[in-house]
Amino acid sequence: MGERIRIGFLGLGFVGIMSTLYLGFMWAPSVAIDAFESPAAQKIFYWHVPSAWAAFIAFAVLFVGSALWFFKRSPTGWRLHIAGAEAGLATGLMTVWSGTIWGSAEWGTPWDWSDVRLNTFGLLTLLALFLVLGRRSQPDGIETRDTFSTFGLFGFVLVPFTYIATRIWVIRHPGPVVATGTGGSLHSDMALVLLIGAISFTIFIIGHILTSMHITKLEQRVEMLQREIDRSD
Amino acid sequence: MNMSDVLLTFESVEIRRGMSIVISDFSLTILSAEVVVLHGENGCGKSTIIEAAARILPIEKGQISQHGKMVIDSDGRRMMPTVPFGLTLQQNGLVGSDTISEHLNNMMSICKMKTNLAPILKQYSLDHRSNDLISHLSGGQQRKVSVIAGLLPAMISKSPRLILLDEPDAGLDDDAVQTLCRHITSLRLAGHAFLIATHDERILKCATRINNLNQDSEQEPQQGEIWQIPKIEVVASNNFIKVGFTYNFKTKAGFANNGIAGFLALGILLSLVEPFKLDNLLGLKMGFVLLPAFVAGLCGDPVVNLLRENRALDWWQANTATPRAVILPIIGGAILTTISSYIFLGNLQIIIIIAGSLCALFCSLIIGLLQLSTNKLSRPQAVFIRLLTPILILPWSIVVNELTAYI
Repeated sequence: MGERIRIGFLGLGFVGIMSTLYLGFMWAPSVAIDAFESPAAQKIFYWHVPSAWAAFIAFAVLFVGSALWFFKRSPTGWRLHIAGAEAGLATGLMTVWSGTIWGSAEWGTPWDWSDVRLNTFGLLTLLALFLVLGRRSQPDGIETRDTFSTFGLFGFVLVPFTYIATRIWVIRHPGPVVATGTGGSLHSDMALVLLIGAISFTIFIIGHILTSMHITKLEQRVEMLQREIDRSD
Repeated sequence: MNMSDVLLTFESVEIRRGMSIVISDFSLTILSAEVVVLHGENGCGKSTIIEAAARILPIEKGQISQHGKMVIDSDGRRMMPTVPFGLTLQQNGLVGSDTISEHLNNMMSICKMKTNLAPILKQYSLDHRSNDLISHLSGGQQRKVSVIAGLLPAMISKSPRLILLDEPDAGLDDDAVQTLCRHITSLRLAGHAFLIATHDERILKCATRINNLNQDSEQEPQQGEIWQIPKIEVVASNNFIKVGFTYNFKTKAGFANNGIAGFLALGILLSLVEPFKLDNLLGLKMGFVLLPAFVAGLCGDPVVNLLRENRALDWWQANTATPRAVILPIIGGAILTTISSYIFLGNLQIIIIIAGSLCALFCSLIIGLLQLSTNKLSRPQAVFIRLLTPILILPWSIVVNELTAYI
């Protein structure tokens, strides 16, 4: 994949995200004053929901990459695993960070340890952090790749669990606003901004994953050349 | 060739270490009464083959069988061998807090047999130290214990056993190597089979075949007397819970790792609040009651930590199930919850004590599993596995809420 395409995805995604924030804060209607404890904080929604969407895409990539490495020993699969973990960490932290700010304003507490949805999503983000930091702590090898891809596969079990949790165990966190099957409850302008946000984050995360895979490929090439130099010495 | 005579088979095995393929398309069959010595330069893969045969290393292609039954294959299946085998790793696989006789008794227990060890220990000049802790022995003496543990399954068995020895001569004095050679020969004559990695010329003379990892060459081995089986009795095998309890009880590792953390949590809570001021805050009080047991459990499985010494965990995993601390977390959790209940609630309720006890057990087992899952990494201690532990706060808080509602 050419460098221009990768930069194109990243650039377009970045512009889209900035536009989403501008539209969300300056153009989209505010919620009714009595609908939320803190109506102004609701604007975080335009960052929080698209980043959560992008996080799920990243975690799906992590799962596919882990499965490809674990079952097929595919080098591309391992690169997807790394890219998925890094993108999952970035978008997971964006979601958790924005969620805690919103939670502080809306619920009076940044985190609720008894909410299944919050905790399973938090665990997915921690799993991504574990994979990113853990991989850097170990020499590259078959044992390292097998162990981390096993955790990658395990992590994806949490995705459908989180999805179900949003519908069954709603304690504090509100239920889903998209893909509810009932047409949703959002004002059309709000839904439009949210859609722009979701598309922008998707484009950005694709650019991020492509760039990360390219960097890993270069790292592996450098390592291979170093091994060749070692052998020739 | 009778299938019952085949003790070990490698079928087109490929093994990687790091990113390199160390062993490729390796096949080997070892029959009863054979001694195969792997001989080659450092790094050629001798230890890799021994560890793969013991199911410690995964294989990329092919499969390995013991006594005609698959024990590991390239699909990741690992089956416990149906017949016990002997194993001496390069790094001994000993736990320093065991005495010599305890370690050897553990090996015999895996074989479901028991014998008087004194005559065997005497031949290696260890009889006077049988009740000494392994950590108090010299490097050479520890090596002798590891070698005897590797030979024991054959020494106490009437039917053929497979023995895997990785550089058994390393660190042994001349007398001990000669004793070892005599034992290898006499056990071979009794029908047992050996796979040995070594550079030692004296052990090479015991071999019926020498394999340089590319080709086999047969040779006439040195002769000796056939092994006379000592008086043996059949015993029940120790299970992983009993062994875990023994390790934990003997070393007090559970108290050092988990108990102190639980008491510290209790102390910190007491430094923050005065219990009688929490009268109307039942949910908070319940959280305080269950917190010490939860913190103790979060410190993980003390036996898994203990077995990381000298690759003892690998040795146990190869021979049988990994010993786990199960009983002491239950007791420790109950003690901590009893104390905190008395302090914060002013009374004792059996349901709360059981909840605290299970809380400590559940957390300790989960974290132990996480620790075991990273054991195959090159640097298992450097990995950030505890990043995943916050998820345990969720079930803990649910238990606290449920108990608060119940009371």
